Amino acid sequence: MKGDRSKAVTLWTFVTVALVMLSAPTLVVLGASFTAGNMITFPPEGLSLKWYAAIAGATDLRDAFLRSLIVATICTAISIPTGTLAGIALAKYRVRFAAGVQVYLLLPFTVPLIGSGIGLMLIFGKWGLLGQLWPVGVACAVINLPFMIWAVTASAASLDPDLELAAANCGAPPLSTFLAVTIPAVTPGIITGALLMFILALNEFLVSLLLVDARIVTLPVQIYNSIRSIITPDLAAISVVFIAVAAIAIALLDRLVGLDIFLKSK
Amino acid sequence: MRPSRTAYPLSWRLMDALEATAVAVWPRSFAAAVPWLMLLPAVLLVGLLVLGLWDMADGSLRTLDTATFLPSDDYSLRNYDRAFTEKLFFTVASRSLIGSLIVTVITLILAFPYSYVMVRTRSAALRKVLLIALFLPFFIGQVVRAYGWLIILGSQGMVNEALGLVGVAPVRLLYNYPAVLFGLVQYMLPFAVLMLAPALTAIPEEMESAAGSLGANWVKTFLHVVLPMAKPGFIGAGLVVLTLSLTDFAMPAILGGGSQDFIANAIYDQFFRTSDQGMGATLALLLVAVGSMMVGVVFALFGAGTLAMGRAK
Amino acid sequence: MTGSTKPSLSLGRRRFLQGVGLAGAAGLAGMPFGRAFAAEPEKPTEIIVRAWGGSWADSLKAGVSDPFTKLTGITVRHDLTEDNEIQPKVWAAVAQKRVPPIHINWDTTTNATKSALRGVTEDLSDLSNLAGVTELAKPVGLDGYPIVNTYGYVYVLAYRPAAFPNGAPKSWKDLLDPKFKGRIALYNDGIGFHFPAQVAGGGKLEDIPGNMQPAWDFIAKIKEQEPLLGEDPDFTAWFQKGEIDAACTISTNAREAKANGVDIAWTVPEEGAKYDTDGLWIPKGLPENELYWAKQYINFAITKDAQQVWLDGLGLPGVVPGVNPPADLVGDPSYPTTEADFKKLIRISSKVQVEHESEWFGKFKEIMQG
Repeated sequence: MKGDRSKAVTLWTFVTVALVMLSAPTLVVLGASFTAGNMITFPPEGLSLKWYAAIAGATDLRDAFLRSLIVATICTAISIPTGTLAGIALAKYRVRFAAGVQVYLLLPFTVPLIGSGIGLMLIFGKWGLLGQLWPVGVACAVINLPFMIWAVTASAASLDPDLELAAANCGAPPLSTFLAVTIPAVTPGIITGALLMFILALNEFLVSLLLVDARIVTLPVQIYNSIRSIITPDLAAISVVFIAVAAIAIALLDRLVGLDIFLKSK
Repeated sequence: MRPSRTAYPLSWRLMDALEATAVAVWPRSFAAAVPWLMLLPAVLLVGLLVLGLWDMADGSLRTLDTATFLPSDDYSLRNYDRAFTEKLFFTVASRSLIGSLIVTVITLILAFPYSYVMVRTRSAALRKVLLIALFLPFFIGQVVRAYGWLIILGSQGMVNEALGLVGVAPVRLLYNYPAVLFGLVQYMLPFAVLMLAPALTAIPEEMESAAGSLGANWVKTFLHVVLPMAKPGFIGAGLVVLTLSLTDFAMPAILGGGSQDFIANAIYDQFFRTSDQGMGATLALLLVAVGSMMVGVVFALFGAGTLAMGRAK
Repeated sequence: MTGSTKPSLSLGRRRFLQGVGLAGAAGLAGMPFGRAFAAEPEKPTEIIVRAWGGSWADSLKAGVSDPFTKLTGITVRHDLTEDNEIQPKVWAAVAQKRVPPIHINWDTTTNATKSALRGVTEDLSDLSNLAGVTELAKPVGLDGYPIVNTYGYVYVLAYRPAAFPNGAPKSWKDLLDPKFKGRIALYNDGIGFHFPAQVAGGGKLEDIPGNMQPAWDFIAKIKEQEPLLGEDPDFTAWFQKGEIDAACTISTNAREAKANGVDIAWTVPEEGAKYDTDGLWIPKGLPENELYWAKQYINFAITKDAQQVWLDGLGLPGVVPGVNPPADLVGDPSYPTTEADFKKLIRISSKVQVEHESEWFGKFKEIMQG
């Protein structure tokens, strides 16, 4: 039918434009990393794996990547208990001043990243915590906490309260009910949230820029500093490694929970 | 069955011990306060942020002594005065505000068809492809994507080479305002789609068929049925894109060529080039205030949309 | 447990004596390894030197860092954080009594002077090789050697000869030609440009810093040319990618693009060009042994051999007599050696620069942001 065709054409034009915008940088970086030349160009001049060999030997990039992993792990470890408890509390209980608490917990969203970063830089500085890696993990947990809470509440909102009543009816004391009924029910949300937090912390750029220095530099900051210097294809190679990690995380997310969870209405 | 010593499993014993401890620590009479206990870690964690804001407020009231490069001991409102009167800050602020509005509009226009196709398609494979195309850049990070665009849009990049084939001289596509806005749009697209998709999922497809059977063509259906019902999605998406692009640092820095500073770059400059912590803190606090006001106004007028956390209503 | 005290004591004594013996042996065995003299402190695993990226870090690596590593076994890592950005981090570290993020800062003399005045620099007067350096190495207006100047440089007008068919530009005003719109580049804080702009704008050098309006007027005119603003590696990248035809930059960056095959030349226009120095300094707060080895690094950097290789890469005149200019730079205006060379260059005292640089950066930024 004519109407349907014009609709399809219009929609697909927009979608194609969007797809190009989303994928072009990824493809370019991927392609440029295989170049046999010395400059980043796309299409690459010849194909070679030499830049991957170069980063395998580049201890500073490797160390930076390791540090990013540590930061992401600390961030996830902190945010899982914190975010899960808060998410369940908000979704299940009738809390007084719920709206106020929500606004408070949304602060990391409403306060711009530069503001949070600088605020944390100032107080960490005052407490003498700068120059170490774990405060960066804590900072990442703080600024991304709403994502975790959001993922858990989305899951918890669909939790049938009757399940817990049934458990109590069978004689389960409250803690057992929590561990055996509530937590498993919100597990998809916890997993989604945890993966999100991990990847967000792995990629965290601005707050890391403010909190790290040469001794504890994380990978995104290292790449940024190197970009402001000469852009050589080894940066493309390390970015491809990053892309690979992201792809694995997405595959994991899909496997465990299903990417469709992000389409669900609340 | 003969009861043996192992009939009462170890895990149950552990649970009993835990329950007993829990009751000892948190008596049943406090049961109503349990949600507050659960909220406590999150509250403390976000409390770090509040402490940081407090420190910034304190710093913003101190001016810089250019002889010693130390902040002054006494308080004054001079920094705020400068923020509102100096031309540089006005330029940067208006550039950021106008830019973020433009970016929001364009992003929403691009995000809507994408979410619609993603939600409505019957092919699970297509949906997966669209989701992956969305998540991959989301997880790669701003910096890497920005310099991917540097390669594509440079004077010797692909776009200019393609133009060269048609005989057009290389066009300066980078290091200007449109480049920064473009970079922001491509960065914000996944956020917008993720905020719009749940709202579109909530619109039953039958609504559109019903409108169609009542004689509306697809354009009218979109305008009068889908868009209004997707309002919570637009609010959530619009807010997120607005605040994120207003406060972005990396895109103006990498794609702007040094002349397209947004507020976050100006704040960074104050801390890391002129070493004027007071001025930087002032600008940061003003940005927080503006951002919060925008969010507050939209929340009050339209509700939180898909951004809401909390009980399912 | 009362029964077991006696046996455990005697066992303990035997073990104790064994332990002492082992420790003594280990101590004696450990002493000669990797040490030239018994008096040298323990070597750190690495030394972090802040450096500008591109050919700057590469030249330092070839001339100083790699030979130093070969001599001592200590790895040298180059931190590419910009000088302006590391400054508050170092100041904060010293103020908060933490170990600073870097061991050595390769900095502009002006920035280093700011840090020295703030009291965050270690005194370097006891370096043995200071006996063999020229006057240029000593910072003006400061007591002792809180920093050691290592070379001088000129902010030249670098250009692509293809874009200037009538020969080298004679004046900075040539950059105002409309055909160069969007094709010129400056440092993003305007460094190196303020003083020639003062003259090009019709003002006098004697008026710096009192009346710099001619400089701002000229810079406002340049703003209409929509210049690209960046840092050292950007100039090389922009020349190499054909994005610009001319820039006010240090000759090193242009020379690197030239080495990569782009046709570049540079000149000192009639209004003059800024001449300044860079140096090395060590922030306070390092552990004793790391401080010692950081000093050894700087000591090594001012030897004739290190300077020769380092400055060959940079193409800049050094502070040790007997260092020869590279073949392509003999008589070049960017490598001033004679009185006549220096007459064309603008030198403003560190004191004035320290006091006013932030203000100039701010004014430049204000004009450039539109």
